[in-house]
Amino acid sequence: MNRTENVLEIRDLVKDFPGVRAVDNVSFDIKRNSVHCLVGENGAGKSTLIKILTGAYARTSGTILLNGEEYDSHNPREARQKGISTLFQELNVVDQLTVADNLTLGLEDTTLGFLRTTDKISRMVSVMNSIEPSIHPRQQVSRLSVAKKQIVEIAKAVASESDVIIMDEPTASISESEVERLFAIIHRLREQNVTVIYISHRLDEIFEIGDYVTVLRDGKHIGTKPISEVQGRAELIRMMIGKTVFEEYTPKEDAAREPLLQVRNLSNHKLQDISFDVHTGEIAGFYGLVGAGKTELARAIYGIDRYEGEILFKGSKLQPAPEKAIAAGIALVPEERRSQGLFTILTIRGNVPVMNMGKISRNGFINPSAERNVTLEYIDKLNIATDSTEKEASKLSGGNQQKVVLSKCLFADADLLMLDEPTRGIDVGAKSEIYGIIRQLSQEGKSIMIFSSELPEIMNICDSIYLLCDGSLRATMRNSDDVDTEEIMHIVTGGECEE
Amino acid sequence: MSVETKQAVRQPSLGGRMSNESFISLFMVGVLLVLFGIAAVFVPNFYLPQNMLNLITNNWYIIILGIGVTFLLITGNFDMSVGGVIALTGVLSVYFCQASNVSQNVLANGLGLPYGVAVALALLGALSIGAVNAFFVTRIKVPSIIVTLGTMMVARGIAQVITQGAQRNTSLPDVFGVVGTMAIPGTSIKISVLVMIALLVGAFIFEKRTVAGRRTYLIGANKEAARLSGVNVDRHLTMLFLLSALLAGITGILLASEYKAGVSNRAMGYEFDALVVTLLGGVSIAGGFGSVLGMFVGALILSVVTTAATGLLLQPGWQWTLKAVVTFCAILAQRFALDRRKG
Repeated sequence: MNRTENVLEIRDLVKDFPGVRAVDNVSFDIKRNSVHCLVGENGAGKSTLIKILTGAYARTSGTILLNGEEYDSHNPREARQKGISTLFQELNVVDQLTVADNLTLGLEDTTLGFLRTTDKISRMVSVMNSIEPSIHPRQQVSRLSVAKKQIVEIAKAVASESDVIIMDEPTASISESEVERLFAIIHRLREQNVTVIYISHRLDEIFEIGDYVTVLRDGKHIGTKPISEVQGRAELIRMMIGKTVFEEYTPKEDAAREPLLQVRNLSNHKLQDISFDVHTGEIAGFYGLVGAGKTELARAIYGIDRYEGEILFKGSKLQPAPEKAIAAGIALVPEERRSQGLFTILTIRGNVPVMNMGKISRNGFINPSAERNVTLEYIDKLNIATDSTEKEASKLSGGNQQKVVLSKCLFADADLLMLDEPTRGIDVGAKSEIYGIIRQLSQEGKSIMIFSSELPEIMNICDSIYLLCDGSLRATMRNSDDVDTEEIMHIVTGGECEE
Repeated sequence: MSVETKQAVRQPSLGGRMSNESFISLFMVGVLLVLFGIAAVFVPNFYLPQNMLNLITNNWYIIILGIGVTFLLITGNFDMSVGGVIALTGVLSVYFCQASNVSQNVLANGLGLPYGVAVALALLGALSIGAVNAFFVTRIKVPSIIVTLGTMMVARGIAQVITQGAQRNTSLPDVFGVVGTMAIPGTSIKISVLVMIALLVGAFIFEKRTVAGRRTYLIGANKEAARLSGVNVDRHLTMLFLLSALLAGITGILLASEYKAGVSNRAMGYEFDALVVTLLGGVSIAGGFGSVLGMFVGALILSVVTTAATGLLLQPGWQWTLKAVVTFCAILAQRFALDRRKG
């Protein structure tokens, strides 16, 4: 095999999506037998870059050299054959099969379609034994912990002689002792001539395990450095967020305000002892990285997931069910627009009034003209681009779909509107329109909770900022000109709070 | 960017393109007319007014069943228990109504209850099958096709126990046979057909004009979004399973009255006919789409095909095969047309 110094060389890589350049002229090298970390905020281009390497996306332009040779892949299987294996966040193991079956899955030797027993299995098993002897090859994979499933995948990658193993947030769902073991395995991989591309939001891990770090921001390559030359978390954070310009937030007068929502000692499978108040007319922003517990917090308040602790709304205890929450005056714009918010096969008219059918009906009978008028009113109010109330929601663009979901929730006439990632995947124009609507609602005395993994979004419109990390509320602050974004990044990436 | 968006906004209109639902209903009306035309050419006397009337009235029981099955299918659920429920309800109504202690023959002795009470109790039996369906689907989360195939056999099994695998048809009061056989004076239109028409109209209003009707579509279109939009999904599905069982129960009462007998293997295979007419009517097997009116057109298509096959004096085996092939082609044509339209 060609022993170049760099196992991977990425040159002028570009990936365009309609309206967005997700990867913008990125060039950097990955040294052989190193642990190379990839960091950046959500939307910085990490996932896109990885998906190009694994063949899930086709690049728009640019070159990638693997072992000094031009590299291209059309699917993860081809990538693996060429020497790049990936440990996805959603692991690719088949729960119903045994460990041994999983190891050889897709690599079976066959004669006329019948499986043939070869020494391949024993070779795979011995590789896995050398990594983690406690996993028995006959064991069913569904019985293994997430960490051990990862090890099965790592073993498979090593046994198929990968030069590069990409690990996407491997520590997101495993325990601390398991993290230690994973790191030990990564060190061993490096000795076995394997290069690891390591992606994590947890900056402490980067310093512990990494040899090099590459920072991406807004699709651009900001820098690649040996970890030893990085001046602590602060420098990394500065590279990640850059000089973000936060526009237009004007602090509100701190009038005497009533608490509308009071959350006390909320805990569940994901959340740990969260308490806070949201006041009338307040825009509260909940910021944290992926997996910090934002969505889980919204779901608990809305009564979708179980919890312990107490939630008071307008002074009385909230019954944990969505229909009860809506009746009390809470509406949720869910995280997943298409699967949780929108009825894609129904028309706009079929979507808009559903959360408040009482308003367009009498004794259970719908008043068609009221229904039509309401739909027209919201099409107009939110500037939904359509030529008819009868247009199928699936035929609208992402931004307009989100406006339909928003219309649904606004029509519910809620006093508290919760928005989970309200502008994910929609274009800049629609984004600022949605911000405008949120500000106006707040002026009308409605309270708003925004759950977002985009810091600029939080800084632009929220009056108060709540920082979440690993399911607990780490800090609370008023938004103002002197809010320190580096401090915020420090806290949400797991750093100690200074207060 | 925003300039472009603004230009794209035209005054939203209300009409414009026909909805997919109306399109499918019209398409199937077209299929119906074509099939009718073909049948009228090849089958003697097919076009006679009396025969055309029979096309509508002969299938009253499938149409009543089709109402419940349509609503459940719109939510993405099956009800395969309706045939069994017909048998059970019919047998129960006979057993409750038969005079007690009048004969050595076990099958001639019943409970001797008044007809009205017997009917009410028999319908309660039907509703309990619906309740079992609803319980397993909503609480235990078993797929409805499995649950209702189970209750289909349970219901028929109980009917067989009560009739010892045969039927009960003796020691019944005269009143038992009235509702099923009485017709509008001077016509052949039975009360059963009037019940069908009333239920069809009711179902049409329910579907188009009520909040509950709308929720049926929401659940089928996106169950999770429906739940997050405040629809109590479990409660609504329970209501629909009860409705479907009740409609099957009413059908069972009417059929038992018509034949003045409770037969344990009555309505064998009706659950499939009911499913076929809903599919012919354009109800999506994936949920969220379809209509009662479409189902009615589907029932007429099935009726035309069945009558034509009989009128051609084919062997029963070939009648069956012809019916199967034509229905299958009709459903394929409809799916193809809808996909083309959606682009």
